[in-house]
Amino acid sequence: MKIEIDESRCKGCNLCTIGCPYKIFQAGKKPNRKGVLVPMLDRPERCTNCRLQHLYGRVLCGVCQMTCPDQAIRFRDEKPGETMKVAIEY
Amino acid sequence: MSYEDWYRQDRLPHIYCAGCGNGTIINCTLEAIDEMGWKKEETVFVSGIGCSSRAPGYIVTDSLHTTHGRALPFATGVKMSRPEFHVVVFTGDGDLAAIGGNHFIHACRRNIDLTVVCMNNQIYGMTGGQGSPTTPLGALSTTTPFGSAEPAFDLCELAIAAGANYVSRWTSYHVKELTKAVKKGMETPGLSFIEAMVQCPTNYGRRNKFKQVLDQVEYIRSHSMMRQKYLQLMEQGGAVPDNTIVVGEFINRARPAMGVPR
Repeated sequence: MKIEIDESRCKGCNLCTIGCPYKIFQAGKKPNRKGVLVPMLDRPERCTNCRLQHLYGRVLCGVCQMTCPDQAIRFRDEKPGETMKVAIEY
Repeated sequence: MSYEDWYRQDRLPHIYCAGCGNGTIINCTLEAIDEMGWKKEETVFVSGIGCSSRAPGYIVTDSLHTTHGRALPFATGVKMSRPEFHVVVFTGDGDLAAIGGNHFIHACRRNIDLTVVCMNNQIYGMTGGQGSPTTPLGALSTTTPFGSAEPAFDLCELAIAAGANYVSRWTSYHVKELTKAVKKGMETPGLSFIEAMVQCPTNYGRRNKFKQVLDQVEYIRSHSMMRQKYLQLMEQGGAVPDNTIVVGEFINRARPAMGVPR
């Protein structure tokens, strides 16, 4: 499972940067096609929910998804065969 | 199922400004509804006029977008005619406290089985930033250019005094707590009132020295105080800091309710 930011919905408010305890979301630097500074993902493989949601069968943290006022952040399953990178930060 | 399924995907992205907290409150409410397991055919959203009241337009269920301040009377009508329906009212502070204030206290007095989610952004955001009854003392707005001279309305205390069954207040920063509070309010028979303090970067923040959205959210977060701690401080006679937002569950009681299906 991985985090995905929908660039067509994001308005660049950077509210996700204060919610994540791992500071995965970093303020964007480069404007996209609409001129919005979409946040960048800093090593998203550290996300606890991405690693363990299937194991527990429920959303573990999901604060970024709930906080996003534009419904731009979602958790997406990998396609079959797609490699999944995992990193654990203590 | 997740709260994403309750959105009308063809209507998104919504028209709220970048950084507006209303989207967060809709997420939390829909997540709570999703956990309740209600059917889409049996859920009705009612709203009045204002930024917050545009919310039902983005939700797949049936909804009523009514006149200014009259969301609660319309919701009462829906609930009285079809008691098996689950009625959720989205409303703002200008809608609920200013023009619909009388309807609000009477809905609390009758204790109708509704869930009222009030997105309190402390200003009339849609019409250009006029001062509302919940604008804090000293805050700048277009109608109070030298600072608001009137004390603000405390909607939660008003709801308790008028007789609502469940009252709680959270902010747009406390998403998990807000979701739990909305869910608990939906489970409680009788009127449950959840006040959500939201940031308004366009009309409130930029006039009140919050240059970034995050500044205002950080202000809301750092000025929040749990109700238990607040009561303890008041008991000891300690000084409560200015502009404190008291958050938490205010009351949960079982007064006789109206409109509960039997």
